[in-house]
Amino acid sequence: MTGAPIVSARGVTRRFGGLVALDGVDLDVPSGIVQAIIGPNGSGKTTLLNALSGASHADAGSIRIGGAEIFRLKPHRIARLGLSRTFQNIRIFGDLSVLENVKVAAACHVRSSLFNIVVAGARQQATESDIEERARQALDLVGLAHRADDRARELAYAQQRLLEIARALASEPKVMLLDEPAAGMNTAESMTLLETIGKLKARGITILFVEHNVRLVMGISDRVAVLDFGKKIAEGTPSEVQRNPLVIEAYLGRRHRHA
Amino acid sequence: MTNRIPIVLAAIAALAIPVLTADTYVIQLLNIAMLNAIVVLGLNFATGWTGQINFGQAAFYGLGAYATAIAAKAGLPWIVTPVLSVALVLVASLVLGLPTLRLRTYYLAMTTIGFGEIVRLIIVYWEPVTGGTSGLRTIPGISVFGFGPQGQMQHYYLLLAALALASLVAVRIRRSSLGRAMIATKDSEIAAEQSGVDTTRTKLLAFMIGAVYAGLAGCLYASSIRFVSPDSFSGVQAVLLMTMLIVGGMGSIAGCIIGALALTLLPEALRFLGQWYLVLYGLGVIVVIVLLPGGLASMIAMFPLRRLGAR
Repeated sequence: MTGAPIVSARGVTRRFGGLVALDGVDLDVPSGIVQAIIGPNGSGKTTLLNALSGASHADAGSIRIGGAEIFRLKPHRIARLGLSRTFQNIRIFGDLSVLENVKVAAACHVRSSLFNIVVAGARQQATESDIEERARQALDLVGLAHRADDRARELAYAQQRLLEIARALASEPKVMLLDEPAAGMNTAESMTLLETIGKLKARGITILFVEHNVRLVMGISDRVAVLDFGKKIAEGTPSEVQRNPLVIEAYLGRRHRHA
Repeated sequence: MTNRIPIVLAAIAALAIPVLTADTYVIQLLNIAMLNAIVVLGLNFATGWTGQINFGQAAFYGLGAYATAIAAKAGLPWIVTPVLSVALVLVASLVLGLPTLRLRTYYLAMTTIGFGEIVRLIIVYWEPVTGGTSGLRTIPGISVFGFGPQGQMQHYYLLLAALALASLVAVRIRRSSLGRAMIATKDSEIAAEQSGVDTTRTKLLAFMIGAVYAGLAGCLYASSIRFVSPDSFSGVQAVLLMTMLIVGGMGSIAGCIIGALALTLLPEALRFLGQWYLVLYGLGVIVVIVLLPGGLASMIAMFPLRRLGAR
């Protein structure tokens, strides 16, 4: 375990009509680790990610990223505070080139005035080439540098997932949320993904991810939190969680009922 | 960056046209077409790139034109009129955009339709100032310290320069973080937000920049055509501007210009057809939309010019 918690959530609650999707979830993620969130379908994993990233706000609770309260902030403000994410259903910018997709996020902390953009002087050109350099580095890390000038919608499915990671990386986050990053990937593609997540961790980025692929979860996670019916029922190292009777019941008990 | 051959060819053609034809009617028509092109370039920011449906562009065009016409006729020096026109459309677009752009796309469509109608009604009924349905005539022309263009030909080159400048600014915005943020907002608002893009600000900027384009085009319209009437800025005109954008090629700078030229010149060229003209016109628009979803501009990419340029 390294460092103080970079993500600190307290009593995060989210209701959809009569359904309580998140019921007072507490979560502390120490800086620099890979944290998995697992749980049966409908247990609130994506809802938690949406609450953390501001995509769909929590109804109650407190969420701190690196000490700053982000509860109910607009997502772009949360992004600028150092939290980026990818999506379960891919959301790339299909009309932009692969490089431009990443440039959008690489400009996260850059403010160009309209005047500078129109005049396009030396300062603006320096800003743009800085954005481009950081975008190319991010593309390089996920292995998409050779596709930089292609339209993003022309990429294969797994490559679009990697592009989302490059885009999330380019905003220079402290925390990155990955929503089912391996969904729809074959074994070889999952291995590339595993490698990529390792590189992100080596850069000191805290990774919080939701995943169904148990082998992936057990392989790369430092800690695992388990959600069931919107409540956190267990947390610990992968091996601790695997032995936890509540976790076994949540997964196997349900499977038994369905069968 | 990309292939420059079509741009160079188009520029040569544009510069040569007044030499080839002395017909002032044709030149006048081209002048209006270029003004429309500037307005459509403005519409492209909010609608083509940012994905917000804006039916207020004709009203901004009209506000700019009437502000200039009224000010110039009141005896103010010409140099003040673009400032007045821009100030007016900036205020109008801010008041209109600020509350509605936080909401979804179709709210802007609804409010801008309403806004267009309000502007039209003001122009029609505020007769002592606006001249009502008969419009304003003999508007003083462009004049900066006593210098100004004389005749259709000189206006042609002035408007060509204005269109070139408007295109250049659009290209620069497209290649900046602002332009990328606009397209990102259209493609996925939530992903743009999570990448650090303030989508509300981006939508508002796109809408306001577009309004400024229309306001300046309106100013140039009033002082180069020297006659304004409510018909030129009606709801029909708003739909026509949207059609120019779609037929030319949504999101393409060349497409905006091609669409505006085609749909301004074609009705005149087809005039000999009498009442059959609208049938053919409608069919033509449908054919383009069905066969060329990328608009007329996507035809450029089909020519072998690209390979020539790559060498």
